[in-house]
Amino acid sequence: MDTPTLLTHLETRGRALTLPRGGTLCWDDADLHRAAYTDDPEGYALLGLAPGVQPWQRARVLLQLLAASQAGLDDPTRHTLARTARVLTLALPPACVITVLLSLRRLRANHKHTTRTALRFVLEHPQADQLIAARRPALLDCFEHALGKATARGCARRIADGDTGSDYLQRRLLRFLTAPQAALSRVTALYGTGTRQQGTAVEHGPALTIDTVRERPRTVTATNRGDIAATLVHLYRGGPAEDLYVALGDQIGAAAAAFPRFEGTLALVVDASASMRGHGDREWALLSQAAALRMVLSEVCARLEVIEVGGEERAPRGATDLAMGVLDALGTGPDLVAVVSDGYENLFPGDLARVVATLPRAGVTTPVVFCHALFTGSDDLTLRRPAPALPQRGFWHQDDFAELLPWMFGHCAAGAPWLRASLHTRLDLLDRRADRLTAPSRPAA
Amino acid sequence: MSDLTTLDTLVPGPLSLAGHRLGTPQRAGALTMVPISGPAYPGIVPPRSGLKLTRVAGYGRVELSNGADRGVAIVPLHIGYVQDAAQNHALCRSAFLAAGQRLMCEDACCVQESQGGYLTERDQWFFILPLELRARALELRGVSDYGKLWRDIADLNRGHGLPRRGHLEQILSRRRGLLTQYQSRLEPQPGQLGALFFIEDRFAGLELAPDPLYFTEIWAALVCFAYGVAAWHADPARDAERQPPPEPFEATGLGELRAALDRDRAARIARIADRIAAVPTGPVTVQEEERYLRLRLSTVTGTHLAGQIVTDGDRAVYASLFARP
Repeated sequence: MDTPTLLTHLETRGRALTLPRGGTLCWDDADLHRAAYTDDPEGYALLGLAPGVQPWQRARVLLQLLAASQAGLDDPTRHTLARTARVLTLALPPACVITVLLSLRRLRANHKHTTRTALRFVLEHPQADQLIAARRPALLDCFEHALGKATARGCARRIADGDTGSDYLQRRLLRFLTAPQAALSRVTALYGTGTRQQGTAVEHGPALTIDTVRERPRTVTATNRGDIAATLVHLYRGGPAEDLYVALGDQIGAAAAAFPRFEGTLALVVDASASMRGHGDREWALLSQAAALRMVLSEVCARLEVIEVGGEERAPRGATDLAMGVLDALGTGPDLVAVVSDGYENLFPGDLARVVATLPRAGVTTPVVFCHALFTGSDDLTLRRPAPALPQRGFWHQDDFAELLPWMFGHCAAGAPWLRASLHTRLDLLDRRADRLTAPSRPAA
Repeated sequence: MSDLTTLDTLVPGPLSLAGHRLGTPQRAGALTMVPISGPAYPGIVPPRSGLKLTRVAGYGRVELSNGADRGVAIVPLHIGYVQDAAQNHALCRSAFLAAGQRLMCEDACCVQESQGGYLTERDQWFFILPLELRARALELRGVSDYGKLWRDIADLNRGHGLPRRGHLEQILSRRRGLLTQYQSRLEPQPGQLGALFFIEDRFAGLELAPDPLYFTEIWAALVCFAYGVAAWHADPARDAERQPPPEPFEATGLGELRAALDRDRAARIARIADRIAAVPTGPVTVQEEERYLRLRLSTVTGTHLAGQIVTDGDRAVYASLFARP
């Protein structure tokens, strides 16, 4: 599985899955998803949870997980896949999940894990009652596909007759559920004749928030780009050093604690030229963010080699020689080289691009990535792409590190265990929150 | 690089550049900047922190003041101000202002041909007239006619594919986002107090400040507006999508790659040195304009270049010399 390519695809291709009435499922990138799943089912599933993945790509991951057979997979992998699928059914807009479940019907895909996931979505989703009221025919189709039409209707008939736990019901329906009693009334509702509640549940958002919603300030300043950068700006401006250093240590520790340890070697080329200092209202904006990234990485990485070009972090000056910086970085024998720069290559623009173009013929296979230090999330980078061939990603806020680091480490082999550990931690967290969402309410004392 | 002897032949007469040295060139598109370092001349008030636009007393009349407690200010040649709620003007000449002194410049050029072009800016900012206008502006020094540069501005706009109006803001403001990037695409070096500018390999100008602080304060106005406008217009590769793919070096290992990069850079620097040596020379006339104690402000006019210089004896203190069209 080409992790960087797949991750970029998941983060940038947001086109919806469509299921025309009577037509075939429109899934333009099915081959990519299928190949990635075949290559590494667990890694593929976890990647669907990576920060920043588009919702419709997560829907595709869910579809792939539910459509594919799990024959030959070991139990831990099956368990991870099942948890991921459940998280996705709660973290996606219900309309997306319904499209996925109806797609499975169209694909005639059904497995035990498919049945379990579909039934739990239809009958145990926190908004199940409203969903059934709004999308009853579609959910009935999903329910009958999951169980088989005859079995589904048999279960419904028995429930309507007062059966709450017969052996038949247990074996065919209840064993897939975690809150069987709450589900029985919903099965009845599925086969009821209630009128549709127009426009209610369809408008519902996801029950589970998978990516933290970030509010963008109306005006981005040098000090509203995350705590670490804000503290650094005050230090650079000559603020009270002792208090600021204490706070800085805490802030870096808190930020780094969100990430597992990277056991490889990262060579970081840090642009410390005059333009990184900036001027006017935005003085120190870029350098403080770059320094914040460097400081967090110094906590996360087992070995971090920092190559400064231009001046120094505390005294940025002079011109940017990114090409020589990358060569120096490669000389340290790293697993990954990451360039952090505003993208203005001053000495001889084009040198970095030429060096990058030469690396394969020079026998260098170490991946090099470009991390754009941005003023805001929407900088014009037209004149700031010194090596368009390099994988690149921008960051302007400390919160961006949550997406930046998986993207960076995803480019090197040493990053694979880091990425897996990071996403496992994320799955555990989301799974716990999903448990709380779907836990049956306790009877009143 | 070598001592700046080549420029001694470029600018003969009272301007001695002894002790000044060239640094490693930088490029941004069609614009090449060769840093100049050298001995600082202390006591000159820099233009951003010391020199203020006090008022615009009607069309063509601009009052400047030196707000510093001590030190003489050298008004940068062809400085122009953009301010809120007033017509924007540029000066045709340089000048001396003693500490605390005010100076009403009666021969300023209005750079907005008609009303409706006011710029709303939170902060007053200044520019240097684009290279294409400088020779004409210098010729018009002493001429009290606020609209004297409108036709040349209109021609400049037309050359840039803009409406033929005497509004310099059509370029400076509408393209400000692109032009101001030159101050980051090219970055002054520590201790730098001057620069040579080339556009598409042709000599465009020589700028020399009394000290690094003065140069830092005037850097953006020079690189973004005085030379950036022409450089942007001349840049054949300003459309990033049309950039040719990078040509790999001949190297089979990291060491060879580093050596190849070094060789290539050395060759490019040598070519730039050749261009400096090839700058056309010729006789120039030097006309003294003002005095302040030992300082002399003179206008330099030749077939290949023009501008103004400030000297102390034979020592160069300030220079703004540009290629004539």
